[in-house]
Amino acid sequence: MKRIIPYILLAGLLTNGCEILQKDILPEEGFTKIYNHPEETLSFYPESVIELGGDGYIFVSAVKDEESEVEYPYAYLTRVNASGELEWSLEYSWLSPCSNLIKQGNSTGFIAMNQQFQAYFVEIDPASGEELSSTSLGMTMPLYAFSDKSGNIVVLGYDFVSRSSWVAKYNSNLTLERSTLLSINDDLEYEVQRHLNKTGQSYPFFIGEFDGTAGPGYYVNCFYNYTLRCVFLDASSMGTTGNLYSFRTEEGISSMLYKSGSLFGMTSYYEGNNYILPETEVNVNSSDNIKDWPANPLYELTFKAKVLAGEIATDSADYELFVSQTNSNSLVMYKYAMESDSLLATIYKEFDERLEVKDFIQTADKGIVVLARIYILGKYQRPMLIKFPPETFLPEKEKGLFTKN
Amino acid sequence: MAVVFIILSHTAIAQKGGFLDHLRIGFGAGANSAHIIDLSPYSIYEDLTGQEYLSEYSGMLRNIGNQYFVQAEWYNDFLIVALKPGTYSYHFSKLNEVMFTTETVEEQTPYLLRYLTVPVEVRYNYDLRRFRPYGGLNLAYSHLLGSLDPSNQTFLRTKLTAGAELGTYIDLRYIILDINLGYHSGLHNIASKTDRFGTGGGTSFAQDDLLLNDLQLSISVLFSLQKQRNYSNIECYY
Repeated sequence: MKRIIPYILLAGLLTNGCEILQKDILPEEGFTKIYNHPEETLSFYPESVIELGGDGYIFVSAVKDEESEVEYPYAYLTRVNASGELEWSLEYSWLSPCSNLIKQGNSTGFIAMNQQFQAYFVEIDPASGEELSSTSLGMTMPLYAFSDKSGNIVVLGYDFVSRSSWVAKYNSNLTLERSTLLSINDDLEYEVQRHLNKTGQSYPFFIGEFDGTAGPGYYVNCFYNYTLRCVFLDASSMGTTGNLYSFRTEEGISSMLYKSGSLFGMTSYYEGNNYILPETEVNVNSSDNIKDWPANPLYELTFKAKVLAGEIATDSADYELFVSQTNSNSLVMYKYAMESDSLLATIYKEFDERLEVKDFIQTADKGIVVLARIYILGKYQRPMLIKFPPETFLPEKEKGLFTKN
Repeated sequence: MAVVFIILSHTAIAQKGGFLDHLRIGFGAGANSAHIIDLSPYSIYEDLTGQEYLSEYSGMLRNIGNQYFVQAEWYNDFLIVALKPGTYSYHFSKLNEVMFTTETVEEQTPYLLRYLTVPVEVRYNYDLRRFRPYGGLNLAYSHLLGSLDPSNQTFLRTKLTAGAELGTYIDLRYIILDINLGYHSGLHNIASKTDRFGTGGGTSFAQDDLLLNDLQLSISVLFSLQKQRNYSNIECYY
């Protein structure tokens, strides 16, 4: 018995010692930061976040000033370090910045419009926030921007002359390659204006790319033929090949992710409720009603909740992740298997105040950063960054190998 | 736990050599005052205009907690080894400010940390007949007890402290009182770095890296297993 005691002592000391020292846990692995501005008349609408090579993050917000004579919100950039601590924040005269922030090589910028609704790409210096250049994109009312794997930029706008959604593809030098007008056959300028100036419904405009059996293409959630539709475009000609639709502009797809082949994951909302289709076979060359497909309701999400869909990678597997917010002020993440429609985990983070998710990215360390808007004290709308460490998304059996506490 | 094993093993050995003749047992209670040292502040708020928000912990005079313990002592002529396992509770609070142009909002978060603690004290005492003042050193292992309070989840389960003691025994013939004053210093940060932002529903603060020091005043009642010396009034008249 006496011989065992020293070993028990040693084991006890080592166990306690590891817990106490916590040397391997760094501040940048996980944090929650709320970025407050003391001016009560300002409302922040965060749009997009990017990581700067493990050296911190930049996010863009649209800021609406109640006392301003300009009804559209101005662009506001915030740079934080890897731990989420503020480095600088700057406001710009450009209006209604749209997702996403674009990072190509050493160039970082955002797309916004001037007071005449003309869309521009605004390049900034990520070190200081200084505006380096602005390039006209030759379109109006930008609603969404997307940078594809080849470095091309695809921008969705609204043309109030022809009453059409305008999808344009630019190369990395911002030279227009192709564009297409998708006729709405209805005047939705007022709805688009209210979307841009944050006084009306926020529509789930988005763009993504796929490389299916029918060839590469883009999916664009936009107004088309009286309806909020997800339109499939050929990557070369930018011509429409098919679309997914629902009932006019009140219902539609809220998020989408291309998986492989002809498989997509998506969420849609109908009568305010979101429904999830984690793996659905989609013919990008046909026109389909999303209500024809079986879907699981997500009653816990807020009314017409914004949902973010994306693919995340861990050391062991890739996953499909849907991020949104619940009626009980929680941020929620649904983790699905990439190779099937199996729900693997549901992760919640609860807050005291209402929040709305806006963007998420996977970081270099394979964690997740979520950009959201939170109502401080229930009334002041401010941006918030939440960094989840990579361990959050590991399978339960693997967590013990990596957790440091 | 390692300390407990040391004591138990030594106790078992010592029992063979008349250990019980030098043993006192009893119980005690007292009050403590937590002294919070903020090693590294972590704020959940960042002000976009660069302002710093006030974030501070309550002072010692407001951080009154308590402790209840059983006490066992082994002693010889000068040296005493005391074990005081029990429940030690610490109260403190944190004040956070969030500033706006026309208002400053104060958010106060109370903490109650309850530990199962096993302190070991080594004391050197002077025999002044009825009074036996002593000074000594203290080493304690603590384990945080469960709580429904979300902020409680942001602390490490383990806590180690070391400290110094002053006090006196008062021999009342059938019982011995032990009046003890000690200051104990935390040997490490007690906040869990992985749960720093897991303060539950509240988003108003992040858990700082903290040292929990404390000033303790305790009174114990001890019963000796050895025949008592006679300090009666009758004896004083001789």
